[in-house]
Amino acid sequence: MAVPLIFNTIEQTALSTWLRESTSIFGFYFILLFHTVGMSLVVGASAVVDLRILGVAPGLPLRPLKRLFTIMWVGLALNVTTGLFLLTAYPTKALTNPDFYIKMTFIGLAVFTMRKLSIQVFSDTSLDEMAMIAKGKTMAAWSLVFWVGAVSAGRLLSETSKYVLYGHLWGS
Amino acid sequence: MNYAHLHLLLNHFPIIGTIVGLGLFLISFLGKNEDLRRGSYIIFAAIALLSIPTFLSGYGAQLMIKGPGVSDALIQRHQSSALLSLWFMEATGALALAGLWQTQKTPHIPRWNVAAVLIFSLLTTGLMARTGNTGGDIRHPEDQMGQAATSTRDTVTEGTIGSIIRTFEPAPEKFSEAVTFSKWWWTFMMILHFLGLIMIVGTVGLLDIRIMGFMKQFPTAPLHRFLPWAMAGLGVNIVTGLLAFIGLPENYIYSEVFWLKMLALMLLGANAALFYLTDIFAGVERLQAGEDAPMSAKLIAASSLFLWFAVITFGRYIQPLGDTLRPGN
Repeated sequence: MAVPLIFNTIEQTALSTWLRESTSIFGFYFILLFHTVGMSLVVGASAVVDLRILGVAPGLPLRPLKRLFTIMWVGLALNVTTGLFLLTAYPTKALTNPDFYIKMTFIGLAVFTMRKLSIQVFSDTSLDEMAMIAKGKTMAAWSLVFWVGAVSAGRLLSETSKYVLYGHLWGS
Repeated sequence: MNYAHLHLLLNHFPIIGTIVGLGLFLISFLGKNEDLRRGSYIIFAAIALLSIPTFLSGYGAQLMIKGPGVSDALIQRHQSSALLSLWFMEATGALALAGLWQTQKTPHIPRWNVAAVLIFSLLTTGLMARTGNTGGDIRHPEDQMGQAATSTRDTVTEGTIGSIIRTFEPAPEKFSEAVTFSKWWWTFMMILHFLGLIMIVGTVGLLDIRIMGFMKQFPTAPLHRFLPWAMAGLGVNIVTGLLAFIGLPENYIYSEVFWLKMLALMLLGANAALFYLTDIFAGVERLQAGEDAPMSAKLIAASSLFLWFAVITFGRYIQPLGDTLRPGN
């Protein structure tokens, strides 16, 4: 399959070139740093909620954990933003790599689960704590699985990409 | 300041620290002194943390003094010995922290834990002594005058105990190969390193922001119950981080931000000591929903949050700033 020419066009833009080639510490690795920070916010907050539902720290009141969803959304927004910058820097590298789509699928499933947990469990004021746990258990377990999948697929990106840039295979 | 200086500055702490810790630990059996025992545990945990930069600086020092007049065989023996001591030291520190955690619920450290710490601390102290001895056998270039004949030998003679321990000591190159043999194994370690990071930041970060005065709906005691998860994350990250370093030391030792990351980790240790070993912890241990923490605790929590952010930041920049300290750069 031919690599779409638009990837080349994006790579030629000033922003894309600057992100890749700038030696400023506020270039590529700055974006990557905040992608990591965003990850710890969204996955860290999710993990705490999931673990609590699955039985860790039973003394912690469950309902106020709803506030952690704000942290998750902030982390997600940060990562969508930084992710788009990373994609602008290396469109061919990411979009020709099947692992990138695996990562996106995991994130989609994780965010879907997170939203479902927020709406069906945390926003349903008719549920007491026992009922919240009963209803949320399966979602919490899947949430952990999806996030581990997303993080793993993310770390695998650099090891599985075929192209560095448009027309440039790794090592060529 | 160079790596050799840094190594000389740090290398006495693990050796003397384990001896002092073991001494106090053994004395605690005489009078059944639980406070003394806890004190020795705290020393073991602190030395486990300090052993990390000690070990890392040794790799740097080795590169600096390598060359004519210094015996490769002696350096290699010291490195192998240090590698073995380090893993035992880390295990002793982890066991000590597990024992200290148990005393939150019960007044006494559980027996299994006392037995395990006894065995591991005895072995660690012995191994540390050997590491110190084998390190001392390496002559520093500055006192080479007239001793070149003894220090350039490339074979090493061992006593009985030495040769027994020698069979258990891994060769650093073998260890490196075991870590870097496959890019998939390497990636797997890095995935674990990230998951460990998430566990730490999620749990410690939440406790930090609660103490700082946000999300005051939460009582602190149950949030503190997440701490073993943070410690498990830290354990995973110390192991995977050390393995990555041993696998590709050249990627790290010449990087200023790598050493800054290590410094931030040490400061986090000091920050945790300040939190748990003063009356600050008692002041926030059982805050109910809505209650405010004292200013001292808020400062400690803010420092923790800031330092973890620093650890992540420095860690991320190791790759692009990996060469800042390389000679000739």
